[in-house]
Amino acid sequence: MSGAEMIVQVLADEGVSAIFGYSGGAILPTYDAVFLYNEQRSTAGEEQMPLYVPANEQGAGFMAAGYARATGRVGVCLVTSGPGATNTVTPVRDCMADSVPIVVICGQVPTGAIGTDAFQEAPVPSIMGAVAKHIFLVTDPRKLEATLRTAFEIARTGRPGPVVVDVPKDVQAWEGEFRGSGKLPVPGYRRRMQELSEQLVTAHEAEKFFEMLRSASRPLLYAGGGVVNAGASEALGEFALTFGIPVVTTLMGIGSFDTTQPLALRMLGMHGAAFANYAVDDCDFLIAVGARFDDRVAGVPAKFAAKAKRIAHLDIDRAEINKVKHVDWSHVGALPEALRALVSFGQDASFRPDYSLWHAELAALKRTHAMNYDRASSLIQPYYVIEEINRHTRGQAIISTGVGQHQMWAAQYCDFREPRLWLTSGSMGTMGFGLPAAIGAQIANPNRLVIDIDGDSSIRMNIGELETVTTYELPVKVVVLNNNGDGMVKQWQKLFFKGRLSASDRSLHKKDFVKAAQADGFRYAVRLDRKEDVPRVVRELIEFKGPAFVEVMIDPDAGVYPMVGPGQTYTQMITGEFIASRHDVEIKTPGPAEMF
Amino acid sequence: MRHIIAILLQNEAGALSRVAGLFSTRGYNIESLSVAPTEEPTVSRITLVTKGSEAVIQQIVSHLNKLVDVVSVEDMTLGEHLERELVLLKLKVRAGQSDAVRGYVVRTGGRVLDPAPDGFVVELTASEAEVTAFVAELARQAQLLEIARSGALGMGRSARALRIVR
Repeated sequence: MSGAEMIVQVLADEGVSAIFGYSGGAILPTYDAVFLYNEQRSTAGEEQMPLYVPANEQGAGFMAAGYARATGRVGVCLVTSGPGATNTVTPVRDCMADSVPIVVICGQVPTGAIGTDAFQEAPVPSIMGAVAKHIFLVTDPRKLEATLRTAFEIARTGRPGPVVVDVPKDVQAWEGEFRGSGKLPVPGYRRRMQELSEQLVTAHEAEKFFEMLRSASRPLLYAGGGVVNAGASEALGEFALTFGIPVVTTLMGIGSFDTTQPLALRMLGMHGAAFANYAVDDCDFLIAVGARFDDRVAGVPAKFAAKAKRIAHLDIDRAEINKVKHVDWSHVGALPEALRALVSFGQDASFRPDYSLWHAELAALKRTHAMNYDRASSLIQPYYVIEEINRHTRGQAIISTGVGQHQMWAAQYCDFREPRLWLTSGSMGTMGFGLPAAIGAQIANPNRLVIDIDGDSSIRMNIGELETVTTYELPVKVVVLNNNGDGMVKQWQKLFFKGRLSASDRSLHKKDFVKAAQADGFRYAVRLDRKEDVPRVVRELIEFKGPAFVEVMIDPDAGVYPMVGPGQTYTQMITGEFIASRHDVEIKTPGPAEMF
Repeated sequence: MRHIIAILLQNEAGALSRVAGLFSTRGYNIESLSVAPTEEPTVSRITLVTKGSEAVIQQIVSHLNKLVDVVSVEDMTLGEHLERELVLLKLKVRAGQSDAVRGYVVRTGGRVLDPAPDGFVVELTASEAEVTAFVAELARQAQLLEIARSGALGMGRSARALRIVR
C-alpha cells in the first residue's frame, strides 16, 4: 500500500465522513488515493468519503471546524504544501483558541528538498507548532499510519484541539505494509490523559463544595465552552435543575444550557444580557464550569463577581485554574463525571436548598432589564430580523456567524435548546468564519436547518465559499445583516474615537451582494430593505428548499447593547436607550493598556 | 523566585522549539537552558532556569505539561536538590601571573585545561553562585576573553527519580 493510500485508509478507519480540502502539487498522491478509494467504494455500492473543495484553504479549515463543532467528531482538512498549508493557519489557531478537534494533513515538499527553499515550501512545523495543539512532520514513512492515528487521538482527547500532520510527497509515494493498528508512543501525554480520567471528585472534595454551597444564598453557575466540548450539557442541566441553581453562559457556552429554561440567564460578559451581568454582580457563590474567566467576561478580574464569597472552578485543563482569578475550590477532570458526582453527593446528603428568594430577584432582573431595542423605528433593526428567524427556528437550528455586531446580536436574540447548534469564532474572533462553518455543519447534518447569520464585512472575507454552497447544493441559509461597514469597529470609533470612522465605513462601495449570490448560483437571493417585508422574507428564506440568500439593509447605526467597556466592571455597563440600567454610568475612554 | 525546572522531552521535530515558544509566547523568562540526551535515545532532558512568582511558575509547569512531547516535568526547587553548572573561561594572563591564576583556579576546585598565556582556558563545575563568583574573580586577575556557561543542571535529593515511564 502507498503512504497516500494509508492516509486515506486511516481516515476511513477513524470514521471520517467528509474531507475538506484543496489539491496541489505536494498532496497530489493523496488526492489520487482519495479518488481511487471513492471509485472503489462506489463500484462496491459502499459509502464514500467525499471531498469538499473550497475556494480557499482557509474555507476548508473552517468547514472542518464547522463539522467538528456541530458534531463533536474530528474534522479533517487536506491541503497542499506552502500556501495551501499557510492558508489554514488561521483556522488552526481558531480551533486551538476555541478547543475544536480537527486534523489538518498538509503535503510537504519531498524529504530531500526540505530546507532548500523549494517551490511551495513553507516551514509548517515551525509555523503550526506555535498555533496548533500538536504538529507532526512525518520523515520516516514507516511511522505514517501510526502518526495519523495518534493525530486523531490527540485532537479529540483532553482539551480538544487542532493537530497538523505534515507529510512530504515522497512519504505519500512510499510503498509499504499497512498494519491497520498501532500508535506512536506519546508516554507523557497518555499518562496525563490517564490521570485526568482517574481524577474523580472525592467525598472530601464534594463535602467542601457543599459546605460552600450551603452557606450561599445566591449561587450561580457560569458555564463555558468546555461544557459543550466535554459533552457535559446534560450533566450541567441535571446539576442546575436538581439544586435550582441559575446559569449564565459565556459566548462559547451558549447551548450548554437550554436558553428557554427558566433558570437560564443567557450570556454574560462584554455584550452579555444586563440581567446576566447583574446576576454575576449579585451572586455570593460562583461555580465556573468549563469556563476560563477570559477578558470578554472578566475584564477586571478583581472586580468580577465581587460579592461572591467563594468561587469554584471545574475544568479539564489545570492551566486554567487560578490563571486569571483565584478560586477557593477546584476540580480538574472530566466534567460530566464531576458534575454527576456532585449531584449524587448532594442528593445522598439530602441537600434540598431553597433559593426562591434568589429566583424571585432574578425574575425581577430579567423583567426590568430585558433585552430590548427601538421597536418603533422605521428602519430595519437587526434584532427584529433575528427575533423573526428565532420565531421559526425555536432554538433547533444550527446558527453560525461571522465576527462583530451581528455575532453578538445572534448570541443575544437566538434561542438554543441544545449544545452544538451555536457555531461562532469566540476566542480568535475570526471574521469570515460563518459561511464555511455553516457549510461544514450542513455536510455533517444534511437534514438540519443551518443558517449563517453574517455581516457584510465578515462574509466578504470568505465570500468565495458562496459558490461552494451551490456547487454541493447545500441548503444553507445565508443572512447578511448589511450596515455598510465594520459595525463593531464603527461602534467603538463612535464611543472612543470621537466618531472618526477610519477605514470602517463602506457605504460608497459598489458591491451588490444579491447579484454576487445569484452569480454563484443561488436561486433564492433577495435584498430586504422594507421593515414590513421582514416576516415574509424570513419565512421564504427558511422554507426555501436549497441554498438561499438574503441581504438585509439594517439600521446602520444599530449598536450592540449592553456593553461593558474595556477595563470596566459590570456596574459600569452601558445598556443603551432601550434596556434599563440600574446604575448611572458615564462612558469612559479606555486607557492605552486596556484590552479592546 | 528562581526555579530550576527539569523536563524530559521526546526527541521529535520541533519539540525544543515548542518548549522555547511557550516561554516567548506567554512572556515567561528563560535564564538558562541546557539540553542533552538521556539513556533513552528518543528522550532528551532539558534543564531550564526561570524566574517568576509562584503563580507564574505554576502556569509554566501546567503549560509545559500540556505539550504533547513532554514526558515529565519537575520543579526541582520544590524539594531538596543538587545544582551544578559548568563554566569554561578563556583568559589572557599577564606575564608572571600564570601561577597565581592557576593557584586560585585549583584552590577553588577548578582545572586548567590550556595554560597558553594568550589563551588560558580554565574549567569549573560548581553552583551557579560559585561559578558567578569564580568568573568575577578571574576577570579581576586576568583579561577575560571568552566565557561559556552550561546553565544550571539539577537533580532531586531523594530516591524519587525523574525517569521515563512507558
